[in-house]
Amino acid sequence: MLSDVDSQVIEAYGILNTSISKDDAMLWGIPYPGSFVVDEAGIVVAKFFHDTYKKRDSPEILIGAALGEILISDDAPSVAGGDDEVRITASVQGGKGTIRQGIYRHLVVHFELGDGLHIYGEPVPEGMIPTTITVNGPPGFITEDPILPPTSPLRLEGLDVELPVWSGSVDMVIPFYASGELASEVRPLDMASARIEIDVRYQACDDSACLLPKTEKLALDLALDVVDTPALSMHKGHGQREGNYSGTPHLLRLFARKARKHPLGLPRFILKTLRLEREAKKRARESASR
Amino acid sequence: MTIERDALGFDAPAPLGHPGRAGLPTGAPTGPEVGSVVPDFELPDAFGRAVHFEQHRAGAKAVVLFFRSVVW
Repeated sequence: MLSDVDSQVIEAYGILNTSISKDDAMLWGIPYPGSFVVDEAGIVVAKFFHDTYKKRDSPEILIGAALGEILISDDAPSVAGGDDEVRITASVQGGKGTIRQGIYRHLVVHFELGDGLHIYGEPVPEGMIPTTITVNGPPGFITEDPILPPTSPLRLEGLDVELPVWSGSVDMVIPFYASGELASEVRPLDMASARIEIDVRYQACDDSACLLPKTEKLALDLALDVVDTPALSMHKGHGQREGNYSGTPHLLRLFARKARKHPLGLPRFILKTLRLEREAKKRARESASR
Repeated sequence: MTIERDALGFDAPAPLGHPGRAGLPTGAPTGPEVGSVVPDFELPDAFGRAVHFEQHRAGAKAVVLFFRSVVW
């Protein structure tokens, strides 16, 4: 872990957060957070940026991006289905498949197609069944658009159409995260796991005939990670409560450095915080009276 | 000071409208694009020792992860 005290590297990467006012001595200098995965030559092969600093990727996802493969640990939750022609496995990549506040995991649906068989991507003409994966979980369970491998074109003789298909081994990835009470930071969770239902609809065909369309229903129970926060009226933040670690000296040094650099910053920050809080309270009062 | 909880379940002693709690604005820069080379750098670690990125990774693959705070 390195410290970019003067934000020089952040600026060199061009990700300085300019929506923070320079007057804000506490926050000025922070980056738009994200991660870059680079290969041996230092070339970016993947990068991960999200709409808020509170969402982060599982380490396994970053390592998998560097290695170019999907890493699923042996103890990750996994469920198998399908039949002899099409075997389907759903498992979770990252953190042994637990749901954790602010952390992305990947639901990986793996197809193992029998010889000569293929399934369809989109778009296909009417009457054909494209492969779709529907994921449902408890309130607060949020999925994003699937990350699909590239399809290969299949030309149907006689018909003038080219169909996008997958064959062999296919991995479809659905990123998900938890929000609201499902991932609450302080409140004790009254459930230990969340049930995720996965409906996979597909139709497998070979070059001459098709099998019947199928909907495979799979379910996974994902454990909820409890973020271990002591019962304080105002919690102290993650990572600062193990052992006898005290963040106070570091924080005081930070304040001193910031105060030297921006003498007016702290008073301005305090005034601004007070003003924002006042406005937030006012908004709350107004919405309550409405 | 009251604690307000945001949509992702995070509590903080700052109002929800505070710029420090806001997400990335749309179109916020995300740095070097896929296919380009990341800038080299040298920064101190937690013990004050300088770490030089290119020397440290010595030709290995790497993940460069920027985060804005060790706490949320």
